Amino acid sequence: MSEFLEVSRLSKRYTSKRGLFGAARSMYAVNDVSFRMTKGRVVGVVGESGCGKSTLARLILRLIEPSSGAVRFDGLDLLKQRPREMRRLRARMQMVFQDPYSAIDPRYTVADAVMEPFQIQGVRLSSAARSDMISGLLTMVGLNPQTASSYPHQLSGGQKQRIGIARALALKPALLVLDEPTASLDVSIQAQIVGLLERLQEEMGLTYLFISHDLALVKYFCDEVLVMYLGRVVEALPNTDAPARHPYTRTLLDSTFQPDPKLRRRIQPLAGEVPSPFDLGPGCAFAARCPRASERCRVETPLLAASGGGHAVACHHPD
Amino acid sequence: MSTILKVEALRVAIGALTPLSSVSFSLEKGETLGLVGESGSGKSLTAMAIMGLLPLIGGRITGGSVVFDGSDLTALPEPAYRKLRGGRIGLITQNPMTSLDPLKKVGSQIDVVARLHLGLDKSAARNRTVELLGELRIPEPASIYHLYPHQLSGGMKQRIVIAMALAADPDLLIADEPTTALDVTVQAQIIRLLSDLIRDRGLSMVLITHDMSVVAQACDKVVVMYAGTAVEYGTVAAIFDDPRHPYTKALIGCIPRGLAGAQRLKGIEGTVPSVAHYPQGCRFHPRCPRAEAICAAVSPPFIASRDGAAACHFAGAVG
Repeated sequence: MSEFLEVSRLSKRYTSKRGLFGAARSMYAVNDVSFRMTKGRVVGVVGESGCGKSTLARLILRLIEPSSGAVRFDGLDLLKQRPREMRRLRARMQMVFQDPYSAIDPRYTVADAVMEPFQIQGVRLSSAARSDMISGLLTMVGLNPQTASSYPHQLSGGQKQRIGIARALALKPALLVLDEPTASLDVSIQAQIVGLLERLQEEMGLTYLFISHDLALVKYFCDEVLVMYLGRVVEALPNTDAPARHPYTRTLLDSTFQPDPKLRRRIQPLAGEVPSPFDLGPGCAFAARCPRASERCRVETPLLAASGGGHAVACHHPD
Repeated sequence: MSTILKVEALRVAIGALTPLSSVSFSLEKGETLGLVGESGSGKSLTAMAIMGLLPLIGGRITGGSVVFDGSDLTALPEPAYRKLRGGRIGLITQNPMTSLDPLKKVGSQIDVVARLHLGLDKSAARNRTVELLGELRIPEPASIYHLYPHQLSGGMKQRIVIAMALAADPDLLIADEPTTALDVTVQAQIIRLLSDLIRDRGLSMVLITHDMSVVAQACDKVVVMYAGTAVEYGTVAAIFDDPRHPYTKALIGCIPRGLAGAQRLKGIEGTVPSVAHYPQGCRFHPRCPRAEAICAAVSPPFIASRDGAAACHFAGAVG
């Protein structure tokens, strides 16, 4: 199996000035993240708000520029590509955004929206080919081709997200980065969209990077899982049955309720909340909340280390 | 057990539309009842009707009754309602950002509730607030008292909102999506806190949520709502183990369980109808896999089962 996407030591650092006399402060939105993706796999990135998962998605597509590190896509170093080459490459790597309401220009018809990628790539189609393409794409995502002349405000959230997916797939990409594609949808619509994404992945052999805050959904949908906390990957699970070894991953699992009253949990609340990324000192970012933290955790940052079978964990005291 | 809240055949109108009808349930002292449904199901409107807040959105109760601790609230004049709200009925809203005044110290916002409803003087109210913050597991309550909302994290702000709801020692809490805006580990903390409060203070709670997993974790009874009406109610065990309404079944089938070898998610075809376009007969029939001719013509009555009832023509049938 070929290495399809390779992310090496990727970091994004932001600096903020703190008023007239305050010193500049900096924080890492993404901190030293490395992982590989194999073609045809679904890799999930899960974490709470501020963990850097959406920044990671944007860095991979080079929608924002990293501070350091490298991204290789199909053997090409993305950060060395010039804008023109990058634009051509983006036809093969596309993104679906969380909010289908703001991802589509309200003045565009559905047809304009799904054809926008062709326009950006400078592809000209005859009007017959264009209308075939539009109805093909709409049918593929489960919409009636007659939807083509509608405007976004005439569509429901689920229909808009289908348009977002159709547009992302228009140029037949190999990699789809899905940034919380169902987070703003009702649960019955979320299940429709997840079902659609599953079907498209199987039919087209797509590779997905699936960003989500919902561990149950990630466990359901993904082949492999990366767990992020405050900019770092703290655990990489080679499959969704692998038992979690990082205390943070275990906390996430213990905090996720099951839709079954027989599986009610005795909730053992974790102390505190995610600290500000600006004030991180040395050591493990999770140490202040971790039930296992030792003196070592407060001084020495644990690095992601392989623990066999494709499993990796960044913890001095893993399970 | 005695009944603290009994809602019967509640019907609400806004202008010429009837966005809510046929909602009935009863809540015993010490119980938590979940009102669950997707957007547009009428769950928040039910809460507003109970709290006498419909005039704010130009609505009114046009049928049925809301009986709180023996007295009917539907005819209660506004001054009396004002005593009840924040007094014997506490409200916890979804977004702590909008329920807290950004310009006032959080402590004084809690004080004002106790002063207004319990007639405490300034220093007594303040002592009581600090005590209450401690009970809600807020560290260093005496210093938190002096902070402004923007200085607190999301979970801490939600604790302040809970403290406001508890300040006048209510008998009933109405919590409208209290954890929807929070991260999963913080949601677990807040649900644990609310469950402990119900138990320790002998409170009763109406918990409004779109999340069936939260219902399974925290509720004793459930009312499932769809398109402005109740479709099924029962004990939490009955709803999850033996759902009788096809919508309830479908809703449970939409939730990823996060378990290995889980069944494929089944979405529900179509979308929730809007209030101006509620279908004739059963409002779920256009999306229902079981629908027959009668469903489009006749609005189904509630058919009782062992621990609940469902508004479906086939609710009594096996399977």
